[in-house]
Order: sequence, then structure tokens, then C-alpha cells
Amino acid sequence: MINWLSFTNGIRHAVGIPVIGLGTSMFAFGAYLKSSGFDLLQSLSSTLFTFALPGQFVMAETIVAGGTFLNIFLAVLLTNARLYPMTVNLIPIIRHPHYPKWKYYCLAHVIAVTAWFNMIAVHKKLPQEDKFDYFLGLGGFLWMSSVVCTVLGYLVSNLVSHEILVGFVFINPIYFLIMTLSNLEEKKLIFSIITGAILSVILFHYIPDWSVLIGGLVAGTLGFIIFRKETYDS
Amino acid sequence: MTANFIYFSIFLASVATYCCRAFGIFSAKNVSVDSAIFQWIKCISVGIISAVIAKIILFPAGLLAETSFSSRLFSTGVAIAIYFLFKKNVLLSIFVSTMTFFFINFYI
Repeated sequence: MINWLSFTNGIRHAVGIPVIGLGTSMFAFGAYLKSSGFDLLQSLSSTLFTFALPGQFVMAETIVAGGTFLNIFLAVLLTNARLYPMTVNLIPIIRHPHYPKWKYYCLAHVIAVTAWFNMIAVHKKLPQEDKFDYFLGLGGFLWMSSVVCTVLGYLVSNLVSHEILVGFVFINPIYFLIMTLSNLEEKKLIFSIITGAILSVILFHYIPDWSVLIGGLVAGTLGFIIFRKETYDS
Repeated sequence: MTANFIYFSIFLASVATYCCRAFGIFSAKNVSVDSAIFQWIKCISVGIISAVIAKIILFPAGLLAETSFSSRLFSTGVAIAIYFLFKKNVLLSIFVSTMTFFFINFYI
């Protein structure tokens, strides 16, 4: 059974800045899909079933560029591979023996950067048994609101100027950036964040497809090794 | 670009994305919050996310690619400055940064 109080607390957490940060970009994504020749049901399906914006953009761009199914699968896999370490990191935080394994596999679908950052920010204040349902409310609400915003973006994009859509797309990376800055508490994380950004910029010129994954992997590993003592202290 | 082609592409994109999440659940079964591997994965997660942000801001695809490099860089600097100058006010930093970006690109 769901603990409805924790679930609604998670929803209340999502309402406000998290929904604005993600929803505006989903709105712009809906408009982008319309201009790229997708229909309404396809746009809705993309957010409903994928729910990871950078991968959704990559999918649409690869289709428009005439890519094959293999191109699309690999491009999205590479773009959304960040969800793997994020999930490995999140599950031990919200795990509770009360929940069977299959529920975690259902919950997995709503794991994305916005919900992840917001959960990491508050999890220490929550009782362990409440975390699963709290995250379900937080991530689930962001997921559903993203579907609605994608549909809205598709339907009313004619009423919104191109300039405003471009502005909307910029909100998402800035929101992610601010969420990242709010995590600058431990030296190993500060190092990993700064080095990850620098390495991805350098590697982009040599291996553009792999720059994010390799940059982040190397930065995080170096941060962990260099500040290993802090790791055991924290 | 037929409708079926697009639907199957959406299906493949969804499978690729869910695989990352499901494999994460599977891998996490022996990871505890007290372990060193948990801390290592945390570092990698934030490293990758910051790498994604850097890529989107500096080398964007899609709509952002139409905007100037300097406007994106300057607006990002504004977001960071406002965030730290105004007691870590998230909404204010996003709003001022986005407005700065908007005006540089479309009104200057």
C-alpha cells in the first residue's frame, strides 16, 4: 500500500520550481516535435514512454537526419546512460525492505535528473520508510506534468513566438546547473562537477559522442580517489 | 518518415532509456549508502550531469544552436553570480539568467 502522506508530500515538493524547470523545456520539446513533422500522439508517447529529455531530443534529431533504427537506439542509449549511475546512487537511498523488488523496477521509469537532484537534496530529512513513496510522488508528478507540457507545447506552439520557445529551452540546463551548484557541499563533489564540465568540453573536440560519459566517469573517479579520506569521513 | 517508423523509433528510444534505469536497479542490489562504491557512483553521477550541462550550454543541438555562444556563456555566468549573491535563490537566478539570455539574443 502507498503511504499517501509521503506520496502527496513528494508531489508538493515537485510543484513549483521543479515543474517550471522541467515543464518549460518539455513545452518547447512539444513545439519542436510539431515543427519536425511528428503528430500529437507520437509527441505524447515520446514523453510518456521515454521521459528523459536529452535522449528524446536526440531521438527526434536522429529521425529528422535520416538515421537508422540502430543509430537511434545507440544514440539514445549513449545520451541517457547517465541514468545508470544515478539509479545505482538513488536506490540505496530510498530502499526499504517493505517494498518488493518489482516496485523498484516500476519506480525506475520516473528516475530523471530533476527528480534525482530534488530527492538527493531532501532525503536526509525523511524517514527511511517514507522515501520510496515520496520519490514516487515527486518523480511521478514530474513525469505526468511533462506529458501534459509536451502536449501543450505541441498544441499551442502557434501562439508562442519562436524567441520565447528558445528562451524556454535555455531554462532547463540553467535549472540543472543551479541544482548542481546546490550540491557543492563535499570537496569530492565540487571536484567531480568542475572537472566533469572541463573534461567534457575538451573531449568534445576529439570524441563528441563519448565526451559526456568519459568526461563524467573520469572526473567522478578522480574526485573519489583524490578525496578518498573525505569519503570515509562523511 | 512514416508513422510506423516514428512509433518504432519511440519504442527503441524508450527501451534504450529504460535499460539504463533497470540495469541501475539491478546493479544497486548490493550497494549500501555506507559503502565506498556508493560514494564513487555519486561522484560519477554529478560528474556526468555537469558534463551534460556543459555540453548543452556550450555545444547545443536543436533550438539553442541558433543562439550565440557568448550569450549562453554570459547568461550562465549571470545564473551562477545571482545564485551566490542572493542567498542561493534558485528562482531568481533562473529568471534573471533566462531574461539576460533572451534579451542578448533577440533585442541587442
